[in-house]
Amino acid sequence: MKRNPVFKTIFQSMASHLILSIAVALCVIGAIVSALLPPLVLERIVDTLASGGNIQLVLAISYFAFIALTGLLESARETLLTALGQKITHALRSSMLAKLSRLSSHTLTQEDPGVTASRFVNDVDTVENLFTSGIISMIADLCRIISIFVILFVKNRGLALVLVLLVPGVFAMTRAFQKRMLKAQIQNRVAVGRISNHIPETIRTIRTIHTLGTESHMRAKYDKAIQEGYDAVEKNNFYDSIFSPIIVMMNVVMVAIVYVLASTGNASINTFFGMGVGTAVAVVTYISEIFSPLQSIGMEIQTIQSAVAGVHRIAEFMDLPERWPCDACLKADDSAPSVSVTDLAFAYEDDKRVLDGLSFEVHANEHLTLCGRTGCGKSTTFKLLLGQYKPLAGSVRIHGQDAYKIPDSEKRRLFGYVEQNFSSVPGTVADQIRLFDATISDEMVMAAAKTVGLHETIMGMEKGYDTMCQSSLFSQGQWQLLSIARAIAAQPEIMLLDEITANLDAQTEKTVLRALKSASENRTVISISHRLYETEGGRTLNLN
Amino acid sequence: MMPMKGIQSPDKVSSFFKSQWKVLTVVTVTGILYNFGLLVGPIFEGKLAQSLLDLYRGQSLFSDILVLAALYVLSTLVVQFARYLKRLYVRRFANNINRSMKHILYANLIHKSKVALDSENIGSLMTKAISDVDQCAEGMRKFTTEVFDTGIAFLCYAGLLVVCDWKLALASLLISCLSYLIAEKLKGIVEKTGRAFKESSGRLNSVVLDRVSNAGLYRIYGSEKAVDEICETNLSDYEKRAVKAEVLISAMPPLYKIISMLSVIAIVFFCGRNVANGVWTIATFTIFLSSYAKLSTKASKAAKLFNSVQKASVSWKRIKPFMRQPETDESLASVACKDLKVKDLGYKTENGTIIFEGLSFTAKPGSIIGITGPVASGKSTLGKVFLCERPYVGSAAFGGTELSSMKQHDLYSCIGYLGHDTELLSDSIEENILLGSDVALDDYLKAVCFDHEISQMPEGIQTRIGSGGVRLSGGQQQRVALARTLVHKKPVLVLDDPFSALDKTTEMAVFENLRAMCSDSIILLISHRLTLFPQMDNVIWMEDGKASLSDHESLMASNAAYKNLYEIQEGENK
Repeated sequence: MKRNPVFKTIFQSMASHLILSIAVALCVIGAIVSALLPPLVLERIVDTLASGGNIQLVLAISYFAFIALTGLLESARETLLTALGQKITHALRSSMLAKLSRLSSHTLTQEDPGVTASRFVNDVDTVENLFTSGIISMIADLCRIISIFVILFVKNRGLALVLVLLVPGVFAMTRAFQKRMLKAQIQNRVAVGRISNHIPETIRTIRTIHTLGTESHMRAKYDKAIQEGYDAVEKNNFYDSIFSPIIVMMNVVMVAIVYVLASTGNASINTFFGMGVGTAVAVVTYISEIFSPLQSIGMEIQTIQSAVAGVHRIAEFMDLPERWPCDACLKADDSAPSVSVTDLAFAYEDDKRVLDGLSFEVHANEHLTLCGRTGCGKSTTFKLLLGQYKPLAGSVRIHGQDAYKIPDSEKRRLFGYVEQNFSSVPGTVADQIRLFDATISDEMVMAAAKTVGLHETIMGMEKGYDTMCQSSLFSQGQWQLLSIARAIAAQPEIMLLDEITANLDAQTEKTVLRALKSASENRTVISISHRLYETEGGRTLNLN
Repeated sequence: MMPMKGIQSPDKVSSFFKSQWKVLTVVTVTGILYNFGLLVGPIFEGKLAQSLLDLYRGQSLFSDILVLAALYVLSTLVVQFARYLKRLYVRRFANNINRSMKHILYANLIHKSKVALDSENIGSLMTKAISDVDQCAEGMRKFTTEVFDTGIAFLCYAGLLVVCDWKLALASLLISCLSYLIAEKLKGIVEKTGRAFKESSGRLNSVVLDRVSNAGLYRIYGSEKAVDEICETNLSDYEKRAVKAEVLISAMPPLYKIISMLSVIAIVFFCGRNVANGVWTIATFTIFLSSYAKLSTKASKAAKLFNSVQKASVSWKRIKPFMRQPETDESLASVACKDLKVKDLGYKTENGTIIFEGLSFTAKPGSIIGITGPVASGKSTLGKVFLCERPYVGSAAFGGTELSSMKQHDLYSCIGYLGHDTELLSDSIEENILLGSDVALDDYLKAVCFDHEISQMPEGIQTRIGSGGVRLSGGQQQRVALARTLVHKKPVLVLDDPFSALDKTTEMAVFENLRAMCSDSIILLISHRLTLFPQMDNVIWMEDGKASLSDHESLMASNAAYKNLYEIQEGENK
């Protein structure tokens, strides 16, 4: 079986923080052992008192000292566990980031960004839970139960046996309750989802609701959803309310049994259950301590269950197909044409060929327009030029080098790709143009903005190029200009224009076309059915 | 279900408490019973230990212990039953309030106008309000719980300790308070680091979402490495803040407990002396010790109470504006069609730009008027004027009554509207068309030429169409919306480009059916496609802020722009 990439990352990061991992283990063990000590001291205190003795200050202090030690170790355990858990999530997220860059372009377009982001954020969090409040806590709780059993076995064998019989029952009951509660919680979450969806929907369709007079219908629907949530919560409330009283009752019954058995005069019972007062008090303390780890283990099982689903989703992501490595030793052949496509065939899936036998060449400073009906492969040709896909047959060469082998770092100097829609990125105006590429200087950013005629607009803003971007900062046309500036910022050789004036009004279109024209000067241009180049007499290639 | 029952003024928290007085009475009775009953445990445990000792000394009998143990179990049963009821009812109290608040919130929302919802972010505030309601109800529950569990229990234990030995009790209570004070002092820091962590987590989320959504863009521009570095910086920041925040939350409680357990040294030492001197019995000793342990646990939780109450009050402040006594829903009346008279109608934006002006016409029942003009000539604005969402200039009257003077439900009894945005719900096709009406769908589906396509769908009219109808094509969405409009037919129907995504044949067929079904209504059909315009009774041409009524033939003869538009489109169709 192949090793799960998630666990691999977890173990690697634990190994690289070995000291921290060992310290966590020590604290876990230390807290368990020290928690066993105070009742033993208490036993001695009570026995001393029972025999009429006086209590030494040392004994009182050591009672407190063991309680304090337990507290300190618990506190240290939580601290170190948090730190280790965060180290692990950090490592997991970093490895997912690295994976993202290795994904094939096809996979990248297939994955829903929201889903992937949720793997990054939520699923990794559940893995942290799996680790900290799942496995490690469970080991700690199990050890605690076992150690209490050992002590009870030494102190009072009979009682330990009674408990051994009782514990599976208590645990089964706990699990039954927790499962029912989880079910009710899931029902509630579904209802809450419906409620929270109903409100934005109402806001979005408010005009229809008002004009059709369906207010009471919508309210009835909403009230039904909140009633479903109410019923689910009520169910959960019942289990939640009765569970802890039941546990307390069991605890009390056990304590009563301890005293009754300890006080039967029967000799055969006494060898099994007999004990001194001090032991009785200590045993009672231990009994009440055995119920809380039992409850916790139930919760930990639940945590582990839900985290396993998260681990599974991350592993799925880590196993997605990767792209081919690029070739850093490629050398551009200046005598070869800028772009040469030979007998190109391509299909996204095996059966349906999007391109078949396409050949063309584009030389320096030439303008070529691709046209044809929707779905004939215009945008696909662009993707192949950009090296996002490998040809099925034939070749796509840029200056004689296979496009798909060109390293990412060189792409921006080679291609200026203007998409139909501008994708804004978080950051300043300059960030939009630079796209976090440190090799693009401020001067280059400004030159690009000047070429598209946005420089004055940007300088007119309060912080100029350092203004933080919001959707309201620019008009639709200006965003398009910005995307042109982004494409030409690194002074690329070849412009790829993808039908960018599809959604613009006439006035804006004129501005954008003017900007495109100045951006295209002295460059090789390949565009998708654009009026500018149809009328300007560049070459046209029909892909139909 | 009566979620609003007994709530007089929903904008006051107290009225929510008042409306739940029955539930709260149960909580009070059982809460007091339980918290006094808490003393039962330590007292009986102490007595049992004492009896056991006495038994060994021959001073008591096995039967004494048996009776004591039985009493212990029985009284615990009563106390724990009270506890069960208290827990159940305090949760029911919160659940009831949660339901009422959500109900009131929505009732307020649904009567807000489109204009109000669009402005000032009210929409997003309302969307967030649901989680605020949850927080609010949760805070009210915790407050109610803690009043008993912390308040009364604390008093009981403290009282018991004072009875046993008041000097020792006061001394140890003081230390307990010290741990509480430290927790209170640290609260500010805990909140601050918690907030910083949340902010960092928000930043990480948005950076990650951007990294993933724009992955293709970054790859094409060769920026993946640079963006990964930004992500990595955010990851490190997140790690640092997460550790800080979580350590403060999970590592501090054991430390608080250590501080308040300090007094145990004194208790064990002095109480032990009391026992040795014969002032106390072993029972008193164990009672005192275990009571103190329970009390110090309670005290360390007190800080939590204040936290949740504070959170709840912040949430309440946010939802309070929506907690008004809601208007009642009035259903729309069925109104017979009368004349629609429009005189010098116009519309100005808030900053005074005239979109169009000077439109006059009278439409008789049964007539169909086409409205067209170049891009941005104000066609859609004219359509919306009849909804009276914002004031218009001039006059528009239905059956002699000015539209702007009508009450909302009277107006919407007369005017139907289907806009560009089809405003579909993420529900089934059936629900989207009927919206609570009780009619047979078949005729309507046929009328919009959708019956055949629906019969091809595995789930038929029960097919769920996704958010905003994404699972349907544009043309299908338009036909669902049109069927919805026909089911809720009005005397005047304003349809804004309802056929734009339909092919020409379907458009013709749907139009024929529409005309037949609405023979007694006035239809105002806004369109940029003129295919149907030769069939209109009248045509309104809008251009350069002017709007005027005419008909197809005269526009073809006198209006070059109209003629040009019509001929280009007819040419395309050939």
